[in-house]
Amino acid sequence: MSEDDNERQRILKARAVALAREPEQGAAEESRIGIVEFLIADERYAIESAYIGEVYPLKHLTPLPCTPAYVLGVINMRGKILSVIDLRTFFDLPDRGLSDLNKVIVLHDGAMEFGVLADAVIAARWIPRSVLLPSLPTLTEIRAEYLMGVTEERLIVLDGGKLLSDRGIIVHEEV
Amino acid sequence: MQWFLNLSTKSKIICCFSFMFVLIAIVIVTAYLGITATTQSQKDLFHENYTVSLDLVELRSDQNRARAQLLEMMMTGDRSKQQALDRDIRERSGDIDKLLKELAAAQKDDQRFMADLQELVTVRDTYRNIREEQIRLILGGKIEAARQLGLGPQEERYGKIRDTALKLEQLEKDQAKQRLAQSEQRTRKTLVIFLLVGVAAIFVSTAMTLAMNKAIANPLTEIAAIAEKIATGELDVNVPADGRGDEVGILTRTFRRMVENIKGHADTTRRIAAGDLSGSVTPQSERDVMGNALAVMGRSLRDITREIIEGVNVLASSSSEIMASTNQVAAGATETAAAVSETSSTVEEVKQTANVSSQKARTVAEAAQKAVQVAQVGRRSIEESIVGMGRIQGQVEAIAESIVRLSEQSQTIGEIIATVNDLAEQSNLLAVNAAIEAAKAGEQGKGFAVVAQEVKSLAEQSKEATAQVRTILNDIQKATNAAVMATEQGNKAVEEGVRQSREAGEAIRQMGDSIDESAQAAVQIAASSQQQLAGMDQVALAMENIRQASEQNVTGMRQVEVTVQGLHDLGQKLKDLVAQYKV
Repeated sequence: MSEDDNERQRILKARAVALAREPEQGAAEESRIGIVEFLIADERYAIESAYIGEVYPLKHLTPLPCTPAYVLGVINMRGKILSVIDLRTFFDLPDRGLSDLNKVIVLHDGAMEFGVLADAVIAARWIPRSVLLPSLPTLTEIRAEYLMGVTEERLIVLDGGKLLSDRGIIVHEEV
Repeated sequence: MQWFLNLSTKSKIICCFSFMFVLIAIVIVTAYLGITATTQSQKDLFHENYTVSLDLVELRSDQNRARAQLLEMMMTGDRSKQQALDRDIRERSGDIDKLLKELAAAQKDDQRFMADLQELVTVRDTYRNIREEQIRLILGGKIEAARQLGLGPQEERYGKIRDTALKLEQLEKDQAKQRLAQSEQRTRKTLVIFLLVGVAAIFVSTAMTLAMNKAIANPLTEIAAIAEKIATGELDVNVPADGRGDEVGILTRTFRRMVENIKGHADTTRRIAAGDLSGSVTPQSERDVMGNALAVMGRSLRDITREIIEGVNVLASSSSEIMASTNQVAAGATETAAAVSETSSTVEEVKQTANVSSQKARTVAEAAQKAVQVAQVGRRSIEESIVGMGRIQGQVEAIAESIVRLSEQSQTIGEIIATVNDLAEQSNLLAVNAAIEAAKAGEQGKGFAVVAQEVKSLAEQSKEATAQVRTILNDIQKATNAAVMATEQGNKAVEEGVRQSREAGEAIRQMGDSIDESAQAAVQIAASSQQQLAGMDQVALAMENIRQASEQNVTGMRQVEVTVQGLHDLGQKLKDLVAQYKV
């Protein structure tokens, strides 16, 4: 009985410590960015909310011939045809078995619009710009190019603008 | 003389017969010449003398008849008769003329005869003329004148004619006599020559026959005598050596060789007869039937004797063995007699045992009857248990059905949960989208962002709840599956129970039948035991008979022993006999 009480006391204390933490506001008030956090192959990624139109469940994917391997196909989203890209293939990430990949995150700016596949969308939240660390030197060049930064929690924040403006994404192939 | 003997028999015979032919030819020629001469003289006699004499007699007779007819003509007055007689007389006269001409032709060489004949012709011509005159007178009716004319010289002329004819006859007769005498003389001479030659031929033939006899028949007779001896089996003969070159010589030499050959075979045969079979016979050629036969006989006899010796040895040893066996058999017979006595007492004991077993069989029959009743009770119990099992089966099936329904319903619950989960997922996405929109709205969307966060938290809670429900549902499904399996096994166990109960029922039924049969068998065994008892009595009687028989056997075996001893002695004797033959 005393064991249970001790355990309960410990859990309660931990919660109290967590709740008692000072919110990190103040200094970073002016330099916050909104991000949408998502999972690809058990790794957490994030993209700035400004480039994200919406999140949409993946349905009725139509494969497209004569396209690079990272272009999986096209979907019909409320009457709009949208191409879908697999970032794993695009970034040459090692294949770690099957994953859900049943969510589409729609990226857009004024000129370009396409979908990126994700296993799960975790949340949309704000983070201060200061927590972003520059990219590691061990990363490959491709990934480094599209990287905005990495947080302490190993959250990889991708640069949505660079992705949208990349010429490699535009496929122009004739057969 | 030796050259004659060396001539071949054919030459000898030809030689002898040629000589004989020469002699016979001489005799035949002599006889032929004599007979020919005799025949010629007889022919002469007949033609020259005898015919002439007959002609002369006929002439005389015709003359007489003509004269008689003339006289008759004178006597008769009948004119027609006279004319007939006249014709007759003229006819006779023609005959006489013809005869005279023949005679003249036949005897024209005989001068004496011709002189007389001429005289006769002259006288007769005169006589005929006168007679012609007489006939004319008669026919003219002047009979007396005719008669007168007939007398005197006419009468004399008639006599002269008759005498001359007689004289001529006599002459011919004398001539015939003379020729006959000549013929007889020649015949006699011929006979003498014939006799002389015949006698000579007989002598020569006899001599040659004797010579041939000596040259051919005598040696053949000797050989025949020797052959006769050989035919009767006597071989102690001596064929003389002869250097002759003819067939007899060849025959003698060949005969000599034959006799030597037969003697050789006889010696061989005698040797074989004496028991010496060791020598072998060499046949003279492939076609030497007797030599070959003797060789084969010698071989065969050798083989046969060898086999006989072996056989006799076997016989002797066998008889020894038989003797030993017989001794054993005799001993065995004695033992058998003893054994039979023991068996008799055993049979008595068996009889007692059979009595006991008969009583036991009756007891068993009663026990079996009771067992049949027990079996029937058992069978009824089993049938009841089968019915109970059937009921259990029905209930288990009902349980299984309920569980299956339960399983289907939990499946439906699972589907509903999936739908709820999907809804939670979509709510989550909606919350994210709302947060994104709120972020886009900036400061004004802050309250909206809180609401979106709450919605998101609710969605996650409902997701967790569905996950818990799914876990519970999984547990329920596992339990249901286990229950389905358990009912399935229960069903099978019940079926097995039904089947086993049925088998048990069947087994009990069969057991009842078997016990029934056993009861009947026990009854039969009781009856059989009774019969067995009676049979044992008979067996005891039979054993007594067997005992007597075995005693007789012992006696018989003694006799057989004696007989076998005799057989053994015989074998030894045969062995001694056969030992005489040298193989």
